[in-house]
Amino acid sequence: MNFLNQVGAILWKDILTEYRTKDVLTSMLIFGLLVILMFHFAFEPDSLEAEKFGPGLLWMTFIFAGILGMNRAFAGERENDSLQGLMLAPVDWGAIYLGKMLANLVFMLLAESIILFCFALFFNFSLLPRWGWMVAITLLGTLGFASVGTILAAVSMNTRMSDVILPILLLPIALPVVIGAVESTAAILTDPPGESLTFWVRFLVVFDVIFITLPLLLFDFVLEE
Amino acid sequence: MKLIRVHALSTFIAMLIALYAIFIFAPTERTMGFIGEVQRIFYFHVSSNWTTFLATFFVFLCSILFLLKERREWDIRAATAAELGALFGTIGLITGILWAKPVWGIWWTWEARLTSFFLLWLILLGYQMLRRVVDSPAQRAKLSAVFGILAAVDTPIVYMANRWWRTQHPAPVIAGGAGSGLDARMALTLCITLAAFTLLYFYLWRMRCELERAGDVIETLQRQLQTQGMEVR
Amino acid sequence: MTYLFAAYTAVWVVLFGYVFSISRRQQKFHEEVARLQELINSQKRS
Repeated sequence: MNFLNQVGAILWKDILTEYRTKDVLTSMLIFGLLVILMFHFAFEPDSLEAEKFGPGLLWMTFIFAGILGMNRAFAGERENDSLQGLMLAPVDWGAIYLGKMLANLVFMLLAESIILFCFALFFNFSLLPRWGWMVAITLLGTLGFASVGTILAAVSMNTRMSDVILPILLLPIALPVVIGAVESTAAILTDPPGESLTFWVRFLVVFDVIFITLPLLLFDFVLEE
Repeated sequence: MKLIRVHALSTFIAMLIALYAIFIFAPTERTMGFIGEVQRIFYFHVSSNWTTFLATFFVFLCSILFLLKERREWDIRAATAAELGALFGTIGLITGILWAKPVWGIWWTWEARLTSFFLLWLILLGYQMLRRVVDSPAQRAKLSAVFGILAAVDTPIVYMANRWWRTQHPAPVIAGGAGSGLDARMALTLCITLAAFTLLYFYLWRMRCELERAGDVIETLQRQLQTQGMEVR
Repeated sequence: MTYLFAAYTAVWVVLFGYVFSISRRQQKFHEEVARLQELINSQKRS
């Protein structure tokens, strides 16, 4: 099997497990909707305020729902003692990382698309005119978050309080993603789109490239005992 | 004289010279039009921030070296550098806050440098946290090295992101940043203080590494005695 | 002036606190070494 097939196999395995249980996706979704509800009570925003705080809140929801999902990325493997098997399989460990990362990406994107829909619905957002940009930004932002999140999930998997330690490690490292994603989302809400849009999208691309390459190099060390 | 003594003595003397330079040699700030004497916080503030960045750089370097060589020594160096980074970061934050109040009239502002420095400090604390919750020493070393590298690469990105973030908004100008028409005597004072802090950093780093090694030796001794059938604990 | 005083005091307190914590750790190590030495001695005698 070449590298891409290995990545695909691991991705497929994770999607299949998730399809059978639907644990991660449901919890991410419910959590996301709850955050939206909280937002309504905490700020009681009118439409102008919703536009101002919307991008930030949307990404906060994505990030926290994402952390929920990341925590499960390796926890399942650990509980079933299947990580050893995965490591012994004749696959490049980089493929394990990429497969896991893509699986996280897929789950997050699925949850995000529904959260985004509800968000737009509840707060009367008109994302439709620029849905193409919104898709691109969500994809890039989530990719960056998933790439850092997956390796740090693997790091925190080996600790005593993995679900507590993950946000502590992940949030500061993922901060540039949040900045870039929020800024570019805010830019597409105005008409015409803010000039900073292309700049922040490019920033997200650079971040993604760096933080996919680096974990690929480092992931072997995380798995080694 | 042993090298460590020379180091200790030179740190001590450099610190004294720095204090003399800061409080007596350097002129009182007048050009900025604010309460002059307070400007003297600046020297220690800049120096401790510089030391924090230096420490972070060493965390990065030693983490890479550890992953390449897998020698405990590099793990010790990375871990102690991170601890010192957090220490000097704390000093930098406190002095920064006490400097911002009289100069800008506010304790804190979400300006690029402040924000990213605060984040770096949090990352360094997170690093300490990570080391505490991993039980196996071999794994602790590897995981923290991986995190150390990610964190160190992230730091400049965070800084740039913060700088570009809302650049159109008026931000308070950092008065007296290095090179902004600093008086020659002030510049010299800053250089001396920077040198003194760098010396202090390396001195503390050495001592802290030594302590860690001593801890290792004690642990091996305990284990050896245990294998000889002695009740150690 | 108050701020200047506060800042330098804070620096001093933080540094001193750190050195103090290091010396406490060192003290613990010393005690541990002494205890191990004691242990070895008593083992030899018996």
